[in-house]
Amino acid sequence: MAQKLGWIVIFALMALGLVAWIFQLQQGLVLTNMRNSYTWGLYIAGLAFFVGNAAGGLVLSSLIYLFGVEHLKPFAKIGALTAFANVSAAMISVLPDLGRPDRIYNLFLHPKISSPLIWDVAVLSLYALLCLVYLYLLMLPDLKGPWARVALKVKNPREFSQKVAKALAPFSLVAAVGIHVITAWIFATQGARDWWHTGVLAPDFVAAALASGTAVVLIVSLVAYGLKEEYRRAYRTMTLIIAGALFVHLFLMYNDIVIHAWYGSAEHLDTLSILFRDYLFAHLFEVVAPLAAVILLLSERVRNHAGAMIASCCLLLAGILVHRFLLMPGAFDKIAFTFTPLGLQKHEWSFPIASGRYDLVLDTFVTKWAYFPSVVETTIFLGVVAFACFVIMAAIRELPIVDRVSP
Amino acid sequence: MPLSRREFVKLCMAAGAWMAFKPRFFRFLGEAQAASLPERFVRSTCSPNDTGACGFLAQVVDGRIATLIQAADYPEKEYNPRGCLRGLSMVNLIYGKDRLKYPLIRTGERGKGEFRRATWEEALDFTAKRLKEIMDKYGPEAVAMTVQVGGTGYVHKGAFVRLAALNHWTIHHAYDQNGDLPMFWPMTFGVQTEELESLEWRNARYTMVFGSNILQTRVPDAQHLIYAKHNGKLVVFDPDFCNTAAKADEWVALKPDTDAALGLGLAKVIVDQNLYDREFLQDFTDMPILVREDTGKRLLAGEVKALAAEAAARRIPEYRNLFVIHTPKGFTILDPESLRPTGADLEGEYTVELTDGRLVKVRPVFSLLKELLQDYTLDKVAAITEVPAAQIERIAVEAASNRPVHLIYGASNYQWYHGDLKGRALALIPVLTGSIGQSGGGISTYAGQYKIRFDLSEWWYPKGGKLNWVPYLYFLQGGGKRYPKNGIKAMVGGWGNPFDQHNMANRLKERCLSGDIEFVVTFDFQMTTSCQWSDVVLPATSWYENYELTATILHPYLQLQQPAIRPMFESRTGLWVMRELAKRLNPEWEKYFFPELNEEEAALKVIEVLLATGGPEVQGITLEMLKKGPVRLKLPAPRNRQIPFWKQVHERVPFPPRSYPAPLAATAKFLKSGRIEFYKDEDLFLELKEQLPVHKETFAETEYKLDPGAREKYKLRYVTKNSLYRVHSTHSNNVWLNELQEHRPKVFLNEKDARERGIKTGDLVEIYNNRGKTTCYAVIDPGCRPGTAIFEQGWWARYLGNESYNSLTMPWIKPTHEVYFVPGIWSPNTAWNECLVDVRRVSA
Amino acid sequence: MRRGMVIDLEKCIGCRSCAVACKQHNGQPAGMWWNRVFTPGSEFHGVPPEKGRMFFLPVHCQHCQNAPCEKVCPVDATYRHADGSILVDFERCIGCRYCMAACPYGVRQFNWEDPSQAMQRYGYQPGYRYGYPRDYRLQGRLVYVPLRPKGVVEKCNFCVHYLALGLEPACVRACPGNARLVGDLDDPQSEISRLIRENNGFTLLPEKGTRPTVFYLPPRRKEV
Repeated sequence: MAQKLGWIVIFALMALGLVAWIFQLQQGLVLTNMRNSYTWGLYIAGLAFFVGNAAGGLVLSSLIYLFGVEHLKPFAKIGALTAFANVSAAMISVLPDLGRPDRIYNLFLHPKISSPLIWDVAVLSLYALLCLVYLYLLMLPDLKGPWARVALKVKNPREFSQKVAKALAPFSLVAAVGIHVITAWIFATQGARDWWHTGVLAPDFVAAALASGTAVVLIVSLVAYGLKEEYRRAYRTMTLIIAGALFVHLFLMYNDIVIHAWYGSAEHLDTLSILFRDYLFAHLFEVVAPLAAVILLLSERVRNHAGAMIASCCLLLAGILVHRFLLMPGAFDKIAFTFTPLGLQKHEWSFPIASGRYDLVLDTFVTKWAYFPSVVETTIFLGVVAFACFVIMAAIRELPIVDRVSP
Repeated sequence: MPLSRREFVKLCMAAGAWMAFKPRFFRFLGEAQAASLPERFVRSTCSPNDTGACGFLAQVVDGRIATLIQAADYPEKEYNPRGCLRGLSMVNLIYGKDRLKYPLIRTGERGKGEFRRATWEEALDFTAKRLKEIMDKYGPEAVAMTVQVGGTGYVHKGAFVRLAALNHWTIHHAYDQNGDLPMFWPMTFGVQTEELESLEWRNARYTMVFGSNILQTRVPDAQHLIYAKHNGKLVVFDPDFCNTAAKADEWVALKPDTDAALGLGLAKVIVDQNLYDREFLQDFTDMPILVREDTGKRLLAGEVKALAAEAAARRIPEYRNLFVIHTPKGFTILDPESLRPTGADLEGEYTVELTDGRLVKVRPVFSLLKELLQDYTLDKVAAITEVPAAQIERIAVEAASNRPVHLIYGASNYQWYHGDLKGRALALIPVLTGSIGQSGGGISTYAGQYKIRFDLSEWWYPKGGKLNWVPYLYFLQGGGKRYPKNGIKAMVGGWGNPFDQHNMANRLKERCLSGDIEFVVTFDFQMTTSCQWSDVVLPATSWYENYELTATILHPYLQLQQPAIRPMFESRTGLWVMRELAKRLNPEWEKYFFPELNEEEAALKVIEVLLATGGPEVQGITLEMLKKGPVRLKLPAPRNRQIPFWKQVHERVPFPPRSYPAPLAATAKFLKSGRIEFYKDEDLFLELKEQLPVHKETFAETEYKLDPGAREKYKLRYVTKNSLYRVHSTHSNNVWLNELQEHRPKVFLNEKDARERGIKTGDLVEIYNNRGKTTCYAVIDPGCRPGTAIFEQGWWARYLGNESYNSLTMPWIKPTHEVYFVPGIWSPNTAWNECLVDVRRVSA
Repeated sequence: MRRGMVIDLEKCIGCRSCAVACKQHNGQPAGMWWNRVFTPGSEFHGVPPEKGRMFFLPVHCQHCQNAPCEKVCPVDATYRHADGSILVDFERCIGCRYCMAACPYGVRQFNWEDPSQAMQRYGYQPGYRYGYPRDYRLQGRLVYVPLRPKGVVEKCNFCVHYLALGLEPACVRACPGNARLVGDLDDPQSEISRLIRENNGFTLLPEKGTRPTVFYLPPRRKEV
């Protein structure tokens, strides 16, 4: 029953998301709450979030074969699957952000080699392909019935599968880390946005990805396999990976904050005040929620309760989602074009931007823009989340992702 | 069916070829489309009442104006491009939602703006009927016409005046109605007003700007001010730190309304340090004229025993007097019709025998001036003006040592009750330094396109016509000389918005609501507040939809308005409307408006008539020349430069020159000596002790006298300054310009005053006094002097919570403005700045 | 040949005529301004940041030589023309707005809705549109079009369509203070090279390394 309800909700959210997108295509991106001074929001935060989950999924899978972590083997396929679902969601999440998605073929006809966005399109597409291939290879031994037709004809499928998986593992690891480094470079290369332009962004992205990606695998695993004794060790390993990755992520994030806060340039302090003043609760949440989740996951009581573990993972994912979202206020909430005017002693002053908003009560020209996703944006985003869930759930239902018998 | 490899390759090649050619195909298509777009450029002249008169090119595509850009075709390249943000956004008014489309007749209550659409026939019939009723009942003078402002439209605005003359209606002069008449001009120089053309600013070595925010109000000319700054020195005198002060080399932050003291203080330094041009004073001013110590009147030659016979034999125009000077040869008659070198004594005390035998002491005006200046020592002036004494002294010496000196004397300075005293005092500076009549020198005003630049009587003043000129302030006060005995019962207005701009103390609206004013008809191209209060609204053409002849004071070019597009909707030109009204009021009158020609042809015909009969200034100028671009008027100075009093100073022709359209005799009587006069000995001046310019306390004879409690209740002076974004109330509804102002009318306050009243930037506040109120947003302005509330004027009432910002001002009349009456030349002038208010927060 | 601009802040009187001319000639709808003029240090234009000090600053696309916007465009819709101007191809832009995130000057504007709808927010008489009426293609690329499509980015294009007609950019022609000048930065004898040299010409946000081709001359005042 719960499952049926789940499917209904998933399909409803996807349908609503699609309708919202069609509406947005008709009316234009004016239906979002972004404007000229705040040009990326939930959709691109979604890109970072989904890519992070995707990276984590395949890292886990490749760790199994690279480092021989045998007890994680049942979850290898789930890793590849969640990776595929999330990377697809990532690419789909960007589509509604485009003003002219009908011109997407230009990405292939006229790619600009210097653009990190093109690199990301390339690596994400290849990564999706890689995940599919990896998943296919992992499933090879178990492709039965109608799926047998697409199975490669090899003598010993299981051995073949293991061999190729092991061969691919290093590439998968590099790819998994790579997609998130490249995604980070979309932001980190931009000197105009102080909040992004730091060397720590790529490693921080990877650390957060490892935490969230593993959490996604953990959730799906718990749902698919349940809290059986034989998987306890695997869950413990995943928890430890999450915890370790989270601490590295928090360290990297605060390392960056501390050195900039110390130097105390007006620009940096301005950016930090957005985080610590305007978005204090969000920041507390992005730090405390995953920490709490990890503490819970490590605790005796939670470890013995599948529902609690799933809830804790969701808490962590929520925290990481907020972390991804917080990429935006620091970059856009204040104007990049801020300087000390000639002849004035104490003025740090921002040159207002023509926001694109025309309103007889509010100003067109702004120096600050408080962004919160609009109803349309949220609906579309939820639709994409639902899509990822749909892919995972459908695959698990139709394909030999979950081992019915322990290996 | 799977493709063979060959077929696949062929398909790819075909697709590739198609892709390669596709863009080119579209490019050809695009260019073919572009080439077929019909477009043309028409040059017209942007003509709100801002003194710019800038040439603009309208690009017309498919019958609409697609772009506007400055024509930049003035023969002197330094003038180019002119133009400003208002002219560039004119399309917003022409095509905006407030554009009047059809004649309208009021259905609801006055001021509610409820109308029904009418045909021109109906609207004109109704208007004529109502006007006739009122004229029959109260006399023709009960109908009052206002036209804003003559110099921008000799043809169509002239048509309005022409009809008013035929009807013997009352007419108000926009110049004093707008408060733009600086009364020191007729008093001191015997003219309406004079000014250098802005190109001449570049030739000044010392530029002093008093109360004129040129960077906002003379945008096309500001470049010359900056040139003058780098060619010499620019000093800006303003109680508040405005944009123009920011550009200056030096900003003098004097106390408001103390410029007379400052002028006299500067004069004292120049006189004491002997830096004045002695010969100039001897030959061109009244400084040597002897004044009787017993009466304070100037000594008349006819009174002097030794000179009486000679005086009787002299033939002089009746507007002149024969005064007396003292030279080394003794007492001499001063010839008012000649400016020959006099060699006169400027100082001394002499005893003269009158015809009746009495002996009286006399002294030259200059001696009296020196005596007066003893009250204006540096320390005393510093105390009055709050400007350091050392700064005053240094500026005086700098000015006198760097000639020519040019004073730009702004409306903000003289629109006070004692504005005439301030102008007279400041005029001492260019006179003492001999900067009058020189390239780059003198004193200039630049308020409003009031100036009639040639003789237009052939069109404006039909034979048998008569105009009953009545100062607008009398209308607001409900009485005065020449005021219609039954009052004013009907208002006929064109191109003006008195219900926002001249609704002082809310009197206009009150009179309309009480029924005192029985009929209002307004001719305009947008639904302004005045249209909302009218009984009949007639839609006008804009200056891209008709032919018209325009001029201004900033430069001496004559220019045309030309139609770039057809009149929009059912709008029509002023000439046509007056013709139609004329024939309904009296069928005999139609012939005065070229009924045999259509609107356009008639306008062109009138221009030809004006050029043919306009006199020396338009000699040789033809319509064909004007169609090609701006044409410079013929003026006395070399190269036809607009340099006031050139003939007086270089050819020694007596003052004053003529101020069109008044005949010389009408204004020459202001200068009975034929010279620049600082000493005014009419009875009233003597009574008020204003025979020479003096400093008088602000508000003592106005606000504090009217309500002694005002000192405590209304602590802020109300400055209704001009905005960058409007020309008075034109462009109040301009969508782009309002977007640039955050859509908010603002009042600017000093930080201390705001804090005392609990007001922060962004608060909604009410400006109020016991006459009226208005609502707007507060902005704390570091440049604003304490004790000041600056409001940028021109907002239509609908942007101010339906309260007119002018409901706070008061139609004061200074008695010296009534000593003579020549409409728009010597007339009670509106004192906008003489107003006290306070500000309170309405909400955050 | 490197096309550049000099803006003399001494001659700039902050009248905003350039911003209005640009908006008008390029048919920018409600809420959109390619060219902006403000008073540095002040919350409101024309209000001094402190008593005794005020100047004005016009800012539009700086046509940078190291333009981050040009480097990040994934489809090469934003590109550098031979003379150095940074242009947008309206047929190719996919509306990803990466260029807007990359630009430190905040000059880029996006068509969040259909521009003819946005223009109607101003309340014009039905059917009215302003702006230069023709498409302009530069070497086949559509770099000016009277109404841009919904969902693409736009910005100052150095009036390339006017250059083709031998005219100066709209802002230069419209400036009543004659504060703007266009010329060849590569020619040391050109008027703008001379002005930059002799008047301490500077660029905005030099620390961002974008190397703009728009130079400003500082405001000046003589000793009292």
